[in-house]
Amino acid sequence: MRAVWRAARAAVRRRRLQTLVMALVTLTSTAAMVVALGLVDAASAPFDKAFDRQRGPHVVAAFDPAEVTDARLAEVAREPGVEAAAGPYSQATVELPDGSMSFGLGTEITVVGRADPEGPVDRLDLWAGRWATRPGEVVLNRQSDWTADDLGKRLPMPPGGPALTVVGFAFDLSRTADAWVAPEQIDALRPTATQMLFRFPDASTDDRLRAQLATVTDGLPADALTASRSYLALKHQVSSSARAYTPYLMAFGVLGVAVAVLIIANVVSGAVISGFRHIGVLKALGFTPGQVVAVYLTMISVPAVLGCALGTVVGNLLARPFFGFVFTGPDAGVFHDTVGLAPWINAVTLLGMPAVCVLAALAPALRAHRMSAARAISAGSAPRAGRALGVQRRLAGSRLPRSVSLGMGLPFARPGRSALTLAAVVLGVTTVTFATGLATTMTRFGEAGRDAYQVTVYASNFKDGKEIRPSHDDRGLVALLAGLPGAAEITARASVDVRLTGSAHPVILEGRRGDRPRLDSVLTDGRWTRGGGEIVAGSAFLRQNGVRVGDRVGLEKGGRTERVLVVGEFMESNARVVIADWPTLTALAPDEKPIAYHVRLRDGADPAAYARAARAADPGITPDLRGGNSITRTIIGSATALTLMLAVVAALGVFNTVVLNTRDRRRDLGMLKSIGMTPRQVTVMTVTSMAVLGAIGSLLGVPLGMAGHHLVIPRMAGAVDLTLPAYMTDVWRAPALAALALAGMMIAVLGALVPARRAGRLTVAEVLRSE
Amino acid sequence: MVTEDSRGEVVVRLDGVRKEYGETAALAGVSLEIRAGEAVAVMGPSGCGKSTLLNMIAGLDRPTGGEIVVHGENVGELSEKGLALYRRRRIGMIFQFFNLIDDLSALDNVALAAQLTGTPARQARRRALELFDELGIADRQRAYPAVLSGGERQRVAVARALMNRPALLLADEPTGALDSRSGEQVMDLLLDLNQIGQTLVLVTHDEHLARRCASRLIEFADGRVTGEHTLEPSA
Repeated sequence: MRAVWRAARAAVRRRRLQTLVMALVTLTSTAAMVVALGLVDAASAPFDKAFDRQRGPHVVAAFDPAEVTDARLAEVAREPGVEAAAGPYSQATVELPDGSMSFGLGTEITVVGRADPEGPVDRLDLWAGRWATRPGEVVLNRQSDWTADDLGKRLPMPPGGPALTVVGFAFDLSRTADAWVAPEQIDALRPTATQMLFRFPDASTDDRLRAQLATVTDGLPADALTASRSYLALKHQVSSSARAYTPYLMAFGVLGVAVAVLIIANVVSGAVISGFRHIGVLKALGFTPGQVVAVYLTMISVPAVLGCALGTVVGNLLARPFFGFVFTGPDAGVFHDTVGLAPWINAVTLLGMPAVCVLAALAPALRAHRMSAARAISAGSAPRAGRALGVQRRLAGSRLPRSVSLGMGLPFARPGRSALTLAAVVLGVTTVTFATGLATTMTRFGEAGRDAYQVTVYASNFKDGKEIRPSHDDRGLVALLAGLPGAAEITARASVDVRLTGSAHPVILEGRRGDRPRLDSVLTDGRWTRGGGEIVAGSAFLRQNGVRVGDRVGLEKGGRTERVLVVGEFMESNARVVIADWPTLTALAPDEKPIAYHVRLRDGADPAAYARAARAADPGITPDLRGGNSITRTIIGSATALTLMLAVVAALGVFNTVVLNTRDRRRDLGMLKSIGMTPRQVTVMTVTSMAVLGAIGSLLGVPLGMAGHHLVIPRMAGAVDLTLPAYMTDVWRAPALAALALAGMMIAVLGALVPARRAGRLTVAEVLRSE
Repeated sequence: MVTEDSRGEVVVRLDGVRKEYGETAALAGVSLEIRAGEAVAVMGPSGCGKSTLLNMIAGLDRPTGGEIVVHGENVGELSEKGLALYRRRRIGMIFQFFNLIDDLSALDNVALAAQLTGTPARQARRRALELFDELGIADRQRAYPAVLSGGERQRVAVARALMNRPALLLADEPTGALDSRSGEQVMDLLLDLNQIGQTLVLVTHDEHLARRCASRLIEFADGRVTGEHTLEPSA
């Protein structure tokens, strides 16, 4: 064993550059793998993970207190069919006074009397302040992106209601209540229902949940159960935004894992193949075949284990802030502190990546195991049968400088080694092409419809808990906003809840009016509306309601009904949203006023200055500078970071292969120098040989990456009921493709340059002697 | 190759040449002269520094000290590019293990030496074919090194060394890897070359080769010249 270790240590020392590159490749690959696996894990089911962590209720049930007592409900909680239960909690509905500050809760809120935020079901995330423990205190259900500055403020109550001070903010993913008070307080709010929270053994479908609820409440009076809600509906609602971009993040994750494994396998097997001569020498010295394999596996394991360990640390360091950025916020449907790396990811990478390295080394090492010592020794130096006769002869007779023609012929002379290099380049270029395409798709997806404005002005404001109405009316506001310095276009937006005729599902009808009512950038089929009586609908809406572009549907609001023609389909995963022209909206809701105005500024205008001017002109409006939302930031940020990471891994893989290739040719280089080849000619020859492979690799890799993109992206979007507009999938233009192809060649050339220059400086006598 | 006028001129002059590898001195102050048209054999035990001496003259390595002047050029002072051009124009080198490029045919191996100087491919191949004819291997021009016998490979190597008409032909154990028959053929070849005026320096263990091909024998031991003898021309 000592001899094996000594030989392996000597081999590592002798191949410092190769060892360093291998360690770097494993480090970056492992880091990418950690992030990628984390991404796959987190993106696969953000809602489920957060829900499980909170032990969310599968069913939220409301009972009539006049029909069933709390004691009886406590017995129901202990029924054999119940996995866990919380409650009974008294539940009240409170209508907040008009125009008062509602902390974003709406005007009608559900308040529950609950003694603590913990329990066997529905463990609340109390992220600010404390729990309400006595009368006069209230805890509000808000996500952690809400400001905690409102602690200590009063929650406005209807006349005759108790005074309630906000003492805490808690987040409840299951939305069992908008606010909680101490049980002693709830009676003052006149509760009308008793809430029970159930977890059942089988939560796979609504039907099964309903059946289990029916079984456990079987002994109760017929009218005791007044309402129930399954968590599956909530899941669909909460994660609809996250679902839209999850497939893309998942695609990046899977790509990262695949590239990391393939590059590692390529690098390691290349390293073993290039060491065949050394293997022969070891055998000649008396090493058994098993010992030779052990030497090589040890030699590979040193940089591999080091790279994997450091890569795991780096991956963890990168992943935490990255995921914090990607998976939090109201759109992600998860809590602020729930996203992290699962322990299995570190375990898999720490064990898996060295295993990949060893497996990749094993095949060529076993080949060396079987090879005779003489054959192994001669692998690097004995004459081999000439190959690629035709190519070499034609190149030798060409008018090209001999160093160039020699370089062009080299890849054909050693097809095995060239195939390895080519594989690294193809993989690298395919990865970068796919990743940049995916990043562009994601960026366009994230920015869709948002290029039309930089400032959104909401037609309301709050101050000291009171709503302030704008001092201008609708038309006055449009004139005001258009007249402020920098304004170019104003588009008013209103939305109203309507119903689809013949369906119980509510529909959000959005109407736009003004300079830019069309959102052509999200249109996937048909056309945009041209006047009244027309709507465009989201892909999910059309699928769920069995409607097609060209169909007529009825929209109802109160006593009014409008027959509208679906003229187009737009990219929207929310199955409730349709967009119409202003006349269609006002035909159903004549008094509806815009809730927001989107302002597009002239080039060079400062959005912040515009917002200040708007605020000063009318204190009743709220200008918002956010052009893009958190999803946009998530998408663009993650796509950029992952593309860069994959590009680095791919480039290192190519670099390593080129280093090995040049090392393999030391004897030939020494010989060429001995007959008068200048260092410059050596460099030109070596770089040319890699440029040829780089060019071929790019020519193969670019279309492969494009094909992968065209194949994967629409299918992944389709999986979440999204149809993407053509401009989101046709992301490549000729200059970008040329740049990608050039990038592949440049990676190969740059990778060759360092070892080529080293080769150019070789002392001939030394090379010829040592070889 | 030398002309009648230049015969006898000093073409190689070594003055106190040293080469050290760490603590070990491969050459410990070697001084000698080689004249145009001479055939000089350097003999000595393994590891005495004779191959190092040849590498120094060929410009394949640089001396640690002393001066090597070949045709008036101080080899030790040349840049890397200068050394390459020097090897290309002045030196033809024959190695024990041939050092041919496996991926090129015999003809392209030989033509390569001229093509590196910018000679067009057609012209280089024509010159190579002349050499193949002269060396008796014209029928092997399309063969690859792997299928050639040792003797044939060494003849190809000699042809390559002669391609640019070097002033100095250096041979490092040229028969060391050959069977006796092939060795004899190569010896004859070198002798013929010297007889038509080619200056030749050969390093060998083989006294028979030295006596047959060389006009002067330099004995070498521990990095120094320990003796010098003029040899009678062989019959």
